[in-house]
Amino acid sequence: MKNKYIFGGIIVAVFLFLMIYLLTQSNIQYENDFAKVMAKDKTVKATGSWVKEKSYELNKENKTFTFYMADHSGKEMKVVYHGTIPNNFESAVSVVVTGKYQNGYFHAKDILTKCPSKYEEQNVKSSSM
Amino acid sequence: MIGSIVLSLALASSLVAMVMYFLTYRGYQNTLNIGRIAYHSMAMLVIAASAILTYLILTHDYSYKYIYNYSSNDLPTGILAATFWAGQEGSFMLWVLLTSIVGIVLQSYSSKRGDLEPRVMSVFTLSTSFLLVMVSPLFKNPFAYIWTEPLFIGASGINSAFLSQPWIQNFLFSDNSTGQNFVKMGPELYAALSSAGIAVKDFIINGKGLNPQLLNFWMQIHPPILFVGFSMATVPFAFAIAAMMKNDYTQWVKQALPWVLAGAGILGLGIMMGGYWAYEMLGWGGYWAWDPVENSSLIPWLVGVASIHTLLVQRKSQAKGGIGKYAKTNLILSILTYILVLYSTFLTRSGVLGDASVHSFVDPGMLVYLFLVIFIGTFIALGFGMLIYSWKFLSETMETDETLLSRDLALFTAAVVLCASALIVLVGTSAPLFGNSVETFFYDEMHIPLAIIIGLLNGLSLLLKWKQSNGQDLLKKSLFSIVSAIIFTSLIIIFGGVTNIMMILLALAASFSLFVNLEIAIKIVRGNMKMLGAYVSHIGIALFILGVIGSAAYSKHVDIDLVKNEPKEAFGYQLIFTGYNPIENNTKYAFNINLKKGDYNYTVSPVMYISEFNNGLMREPAILNLWTKDFYVSPVGYDEGSGDSHNHGQVIDLEKGGSSELNGAKISFDRFDMPAETMQAMQEGKDFQMGAVLTLEFQGKKESFELFRKNVSGQIQFTDYTSKNGGLKIQLINLTAGKIQISASKLNESSEKSVQQSPKEVLSISASVKPFINLVWAGVMVMFIGFFVSVSRRLKESLIK
Repeated sequence: MKNKYIFGGIIVAVFLFLMIYLLTQSNIQYENDFAKVMAKDKTVKATGSWVKEKSYELNKENKTFTFYMADHSGKEMKVVYHGTIPNNFESAVSVVVTGKYQNGYFHAKDILTKCPSKYEEQNVKSSSM
Repeated sequence: MIGSIVLSLALASSLVAMVMYFLTYRGYQNTLNIGRIAYHSMAMLVIAASAILTYLILTHDYSYKYIYNYSSNDLPTGILAATFWAGQEGSFMLWVLLTSIVGIVLQSYSSKRGDLEPRVMSVFTLSTSFLLVMVSPLFKNPFAYIWTEPLFIGASGINSAFLSQPWIQNFLFSDNSTGQNFVKMGPELYAALSSAGIAVKDFIINGKGLNPQLLNFWMQIHPPILFVGFSMATVPFAFAIAAMMKNDYTQWVKQALPWVLAGAGILGLGIMMGGYWAYEMLGWGGYWAWDPVENSSLIPWLVGVASIHTLLVQRKSQAKGGIGKYAKTNLILSILTYILVLYSTFLTRSGVLGDASVHSFVDPGMLVYLFLVIFIGTFIALGFGMLIYSWKFLSETMETDETLLSRDLALFTAAVVLCASALIVLVGTSAPLFGNSVETFFYDEMHIPLAIIIGLLNGLSLLLKWKQSNGQDLLKKSLFSIVSAIIFTSLIIIFGGVTNIMMILLALAASFSLFVNLEIAIKIVRGNMKMLGAYVSHIGIALFILGVIGSAAYSKHVDIDLVKNEPKEAFGYQLIFTGYNPIENNTKYAFNINLKKGDYNYTVSPVMYISEFNNGLMREPAILNLWTKDFYVSPVGYDEGSGDSHNHGQVIDLEKGGSSELNGAKISFDRFDMPAETMQAMQEGKDFQMGAVLTLEFQGKKESFELFRKNVSGQIQFTDYTSKNGGLKIQLINLTAGKIQISASKLNESSEKSVQQSPKEVLSISASVKPFINLVWAGVMVMFIGFFVSVSRRLKESLIK
């Protein structure tokens, strides 16, 4: 009877240890302050919005997609993604990029776009005519 | 208005039913019939409200905010009806509807099984009451009118006859950056419309439309099936609470089993349908991305399936009297399944995953968020409160003896492994609550060992006898399967080139379970067909795991640029892009690619189009489905190859006095340069040029330059300017009154090179091969069939008293 619990306990402990270890290995922090993103030498998920005024650039030869993102305080950061422009990019209200900041720009491994339709309706910023 | 009233009445009926059923349980007479009537009126009212919503959607009544937000006039009828559940409000409504219908069946089922009905139904109506509060006018009501809160509506959705009316001018707005016009719909405009005698549905004549990613066949069936699974998860919860209310833990096990089996079967089918949708339509490149939304429906499924295994042990061990083994485990798992469904709803609906930042709790969401917390909290308190209350009794009466080599323990271990899997997914998916996120390798790495154990148990447990087996006997019985599995795995290693040790072990475990189950299933087919369910399901799992090994671990992927009519090689296939043609009334474009291998010739046509809904480029993959693999082609982009260099640069519009920034350089357009002789030359029809003076500022250094639009013997030419300082080449594209258009490209990019090339049409694709992906789908279907064979067997058993 006692052995059963010891045996079970060891298995559970090993499992939890493995899970926590892998969790720390695969853990990525969300960051919405680009000053911190630039200072860190770790993979992060930077959240912000696309700077529409600076448009974007698709490079056919290198297969890169480059654009600028701004955080909530307006600090801008150049983002380079190996791949093509994601579906819905133009209409995204916010963008989450996963990667590292190195050599003056953010190397994105993954781009996630948040579309207004998927969550809630968009409030159009407008000025009176 | 009428919809909201009907829903409010339904809520009242649900509460009455709950109280009456509870009073009946407490021993009151004459209350049972009132409870039944109240329940059925609730269900009828919910069905009526859903019918009203469907009618309003089909007749395009855009005075309802929900309908305006998710549908439009151009949707085909099937999809239009499916916009019922396109948004939050409607999917809660769908959940209420399906739960109410499940409840009708449950009421009839429980009324035939002793005194079960009042207990089960009082718990069940607690759940319907909460859901009905959710869709009530307080929270996510699909019948909210569009003018309750100010909303900007694109002018294209407004009946143009009204746009010139004087009273509307105060409500017209325009967005400077896009030039679009909007009407601000709010209480004030509603008042203005009412006083002018105009109905809102005549004023707003088109809706925003549906997100193009939802606009396909699966949208019509995937969400309803998933929600049937969610609704059915309420039932084992209600049974578990009902058991604790009576302190009787024997009957509920067999009464709940058919429900748990059916619920898990349907939920599993729904989940995988979502995977197929993502694979076939959305171009995710796979069927499972460990996306939080996918994960959150997987977690309750895993726990539900775990509970099937321990419920079976309890039922079996009851044969000699008593409440049987794992009585506590079963109560915990049945309660958890529903709580995890609610938690899943919380994760995906409250906005916590939205941006994974605290800022996403904005005002209207905050109330919903709080309500969801109360909803889950109530069910956790009820479930685990009752459990603590009856814990002592359970500990005293439960049977506990176990031997290592028994089917009982093997099934229990299976449940533990499934729960471990659920825990992994739960931890990973909940990480955003703490401002974190995990990479998908976390899920993969953790699941490989678990899947190996699942495969082994899957085979072993069926060879073991209930209670106790002897080791030698076991070895004799498993000999055939072990040998077959080793041979089969060797074949996979030799012909499939599988070398990863974990994958070899996984293949061995899966094929072992496949052969064990096949062997038994074949024996059974000759005997008692009813017993087949479990084996069929487990064959499904084994096939599924083998399919995942092939399609996920050994999927190969390559990015290719296909020049029109120039063949390229990939994965032993010859690919030729032959051109594109418009499809679906010129709204989309199919890009045809010829695939050739030996004598076989195929055509695949991935699709791309610009969606009017969001002005974005949408892509749909094409799949060549072969017996042993899928050839998956995902479109990336298309270049018509017009030869213009400015395609490679960035096009910027500049007004006089305006400026734009690029690569840290500031380009400003100062003035036009149009000397008097230009005007004269223009009038005389001679050659002339117009100039635009620009300034480029980079790292504090300014340089001024001029770009010209030249008219040389009737031909228009534009000049360019190269700035070494800014590292930019700036080319004038157009010059009109008050405005110029330039294209700026970086110097290190060889834009000149592409000018010299002859125009080429290039289709960029991402191609991949997914070996044995058919096994994934086949495995899921076989599993699903197995579940339902089991349901029919357990349904009969549940009747015997």
